[in-house]
Amino acid sequence: MLDVADLVTAYGKIEALKGVSLRVESGRITCLLGPNGAGKTTLMMTIAGILQPRRGTVRLDGQELTGLTPARIVAQGVALVPENRLVFPQMSVHENLLAGAYQRRGRGEIASDVERMYARFPRLQERRAQLAGTLSGGEQQMLAVARALMSRPRVLLMDEPSLGLAPLVVAEIFRIVGELNRDGTTIFLVEQNAHMALQVAHHFYLMEQGRVTFSGTPGELAEDEVVQRAYLGARRAAG
Amino acid sequence: MDFYLGLVQIIGVHTLLGLSAYCVLLTGQVSLAQAGFFAVGAYVAGMLTVLGGWPLIPALAVASLAAGIVACAVGFPALRVKGLMLVVATTAFGEAVRLFFFNFTYQLERGELRIGPHGGEGFRQIRYFPENGWSTLDVMLFIWVVVIAVMAALWWMDRSRIGAVLRAVGEDELAAQSSGINVTAVKVSAMTIGGLIAGLGGGLFAHYTTHIEHVQFGVVLATFAVAYPILGGLSNVFGTLIAVIFIQGFLIEGLRFMGDWRNLLFGGLIVLAMIVRPRGLIDAGTLVALKRLLRRGERAGA
Amino acid sequence: MIDFLQNTIDGVMTGASYALLALGFTLIFGVMRRLNLSYGPSIMVGAYLGTLAHLHLAAGPLGVAAVTVAGAVLAGLYVERLCFAPMAAGAGIAAMVSSFAIWMQLEQAAILVLPRHTYPFPPLASATAWLGPFLLRLDQLIMLASALVLALGVQALLYGTRFGLALRAIIGNPTAAHLVGIDVRRATVLAFALASAVGGVAGFLVLASDAQVTPMFGMWATMKGLIAMMIGGLGSIPGALVGGLLLGVVEAQSQWYLGPQLRDLAAYVLLFACLVWRPGGLFGAAPVRDLARGRSL
Repeated sequence: MLDVADLVTAYGKIEALKGVSLRVESGRITCLLGPNGAGKTTLMMTIAGILQPRRGTVRLDGQELTGLTPARIVAQGVALVPENRLVFPQMSVHENLLAGAYQRRGRGEIASDVERMYARFPRLQERRAQLAGTLSGGEQQMLAVARALMSRPRVLLMDEPSLGLAPLVVAEIFRIVGELNRDGTTIFLVEQNAHMALQVAHHFYLMEQGRVTFSGTPGELAEDEVVQRAYLGARRAAG
Repeated sequence: MDFYLGLVQIIGVHTLLGLSAYCVLLTGQVSLAQAGFFAVGAYVAGMLTVLGGWPLIPALAVASLAAGIVACAVGFPALRVKGLMLVVATTAFGEAVRLFFFNFTYQLERGELRIGPHGGEGFRQIRYFPENGWSTLDVMLFIWVVVIAVMAALWWMDRSRIGAVLRAVGEDELAAQSSGINVTAVKVSAMTIGGLIAGLGGGLFAHYTTHIEHVQFGVVLATFAVAYPILGGLSNVFGTLIAVIFIQGFLIEGLRFMGDWRNLLFGGLIVLAMIVRPRGLIDAGTLVALKRLLRRGERAGA
Repeated sequence: MIDFLQNTIDGVMTGASYALLALGFTLIFGVMRRLNLSYGPSIMVGAYLGTLAHLHLAAGPLGVAAVTVAGAVLAGLYVERLCFAPMAAGAGIAAMVSSFAIWMQLEQAAILVLPRHTYPFPPLASATAWLGPFLLRLDQLIMLASALVLALGVQALLYGTRFGLALRAIIGNPTAAHLVGIDVRRATVLAFALASAVGGVAGFLVLASDAQVTPMFGMWATMKGLIAMMIGGLGSIPGALVGGLLLGVVEAQSQWYLGPQLRDLAAYVLLFACLVWRPGGLFGAAPVRDLARGRSL
C-alpha cells in the first residue's frame, strides 16, 4: 500500500536516511524499531512531506507522494501522529479535532466524525471544551490520534505514541492501536517499546543509522539474536 | 584623497561598532543597544577632551570603560529576556539613551564661546584633532591601530577558552548550563565586552566628526551594528570587517554615483546576500575553502 | 484632576492608533514568529500612494483611505516575498536584517517619488465637541471606534472562521498545522496581507488626524506598534489593545507632567520595565513566551 523506495534525506551534509526501502501492507500494522538517532522520525517527517528527500520515492497505492506539500499528502490519505503529539495547546479539544478535518468539506459529515471520535475516546468528550495544552500526556496522545483520524486517512503513521507515558497509559494506547486496525485502518508505527509492539504488529522493520537492517514477522524478530539482545534482552533478563 | 581617508575612517569606526555586536551575538543574543553604548562613549570622550582638557588616549579609555559599565548594568535586567524580547528591550534602552542626550545640556563658558553638549542641537566643536595638528592621515592610521588591536584581541579571545564558552552559550543555552557554565555571567560579560568596544568606537567617532548629536545614535545605527556581523557571519571577526566594507564601502560609497537610487539597490543586495547566505558571507565553509585554495597556491608556487 | 482626566482621554484616543498598529504586528509575529521591521515603512508606502491620489487625482478621504490600505497590502506582500518567503526555517535573524534593508529601500523610494519632507494628507473630520469640561476630537473618536471594531473583527475572524482556525493552528504549532493539512504558506501570506490592511487603516487614521505625512512615519509606526505589542503580550489581541491604550495614556500623562522631551523617554522606560518585570507582556501566556526562544526569532 505505502511503498518507500531508496529514500535519502539529509540535514546539510549529514544524511539521516541513507537509502531506506520498506513497505506497509494494507490493513495491517507495520512497526519500525530502532534506537534513538536511527532516523525513524526523519523517515516519518519525510513521508508526511515536512522534510524533502534528496533522493528516492514514497508511493501510496502506486501514486507518487514525493514532492507534494504536506497538505496534499494529507488529502491523499496519509496522516501522521507526530512524536511528542504536537497538539494545538491554545485551542480546545473540540477545535483540535476540527483542525484535523481541515482538508475535508461537509460540515455534517465532519460533525458526525467528531461524535465518533468522542465515542471512541470518552475522555476527550469529557474535556471537549478544555484547552489541549492542559490535558495530561496520555490524553494529548489520544487527542493527537483522534485529530489524525479526523482526516479519514488510508494510512495512519504514528511516531512513538508511547513516548513519556506511564505503563498503564501505554497499554491503553496500544489497545486503541489494535482496535483501530481491527476496524480496518492501516497503521505504520514507530516504536522503541518492542514488547508492546510485538503484541500488536504484523510485520517489523529494524532501522539503524539511517538504514533498514532487518525485516520480518514477529516470530522472526523474536528469533533474531541481535534484536533480542538489543531490544528484548534487558526485559527478559529482568523477568 | 581626503575623501578616501574619510571613508577608511568610517569603515574603521563602524567595524568597531559591528564587533561590539559580534561579541553579544556569539552568545546568541541580538542586541540593539550597541548604538546607545556608542553614544555614551562619544559623549564621554568628547566631554573629557573638550571640557576637561584631557589627552585623547586616557579620554578614550575612560569613555570605553563608561560604556562598558553601562552595558554591564543594562545586561543584568535585559538578559533575563531572550530573542525578540531582548531585541525590543535593548531597542528601548538604546532609544532611552538617545533621548537622554537629546535632553542633556552641560556647557561651560570658554572665552567668547559656550562649549559642551547642548540638548537637541548636539555637541559641537570637538576639535581635539585639528587643535593638536593631526592630519586626516594621522587620524585614519590611529583609528586603524585601534581597530587592528581590537580585532587581534577578539581573534585571540575566539580561539581561547572564553570564545568556546561564549559560543557554547550561543549554540545551546541549556546544554551550556548543564555543563556547568554560568550562562548569565557569560552573557553579561559578552555584553560588557561589547560595551567596551562600542564605547571606544563612539569616542573615536566623536573626535573625527567633531560634531555629534542624538539623531546619529538612533535605531538605524543600532540595526547597522547587528547587521554587520549577521551579514558577515559569526565564524570569525573578519566577517564583520568584510560586511562593513561591503556596506559602507561598496553599497553606500561605491554606489554613490547612482544618486538617490542607491538605497533601492542597497536594500535589494542585502536581501539577496541574506537569502543566498543566511549564515553570513563568511561561514565555516568559506574558511575551509579558502585554506584549501591557499594551500594549492603554495604548492603551485613551490 | 480635570487635567489628568483630559490627558487620559487624549491618551486613549492616541492609544487607539497604537493599538491598531500593534494588532497588525501581533498577527504577523504570531503566525511567523519573525520580526518585520518593514511593517511601518510598508504602511508609509501606502500612505504615500494615498497622498499621491490626493494631490493628483483629488481623491477625498474615503478614496485616500482605500488607496492607503491597498498600497500597504501591496507593500506588505512585497516585504513578505523578499524577506520572509525565501528564508529557510531557523534563519529568523537573517529575515530581520533583510526587513531592515527593505525598510531603507521603501523609505528611499518614498523620498524619490515625493522629495519634499512633508506632504499634506487629507484630514478626516476636524470637528471638536465639549463633553462637560472635556474636549473631544471627532477624528480621534473615529480612530477609537475603528480600533475597537477592527479588533473585534479580527477576533471574530480568528475564533469564528475556518481561516481563523488555520491561523490559530499555525500560531500554536506550525509543524502540526502542516500535518493536519493546512496550507501554511498560503495562510501565512493571507495573514500578512490582513495585518498590512489593519496597519493601513491605522496609518490612514493617524495621518488624517496629523494632516501630513513624512517618510519618518514608517519608523514611527514600526516603533509604536512594536512597543504596544510588547507591552500587551506577543500574539495576543486583547494584549495589543490594552498595550496600545496604556502606551497612549502614559505618553499623554508624561507629556503633560514631564514635558514633551521626556514623553518618549517615559514610553521606553515603561517598555523596558514591562519586559524585565513580565517578559511575556501583560497578556502573554506561558506558551507565547516559548515562541520567543532565542533562535526562533
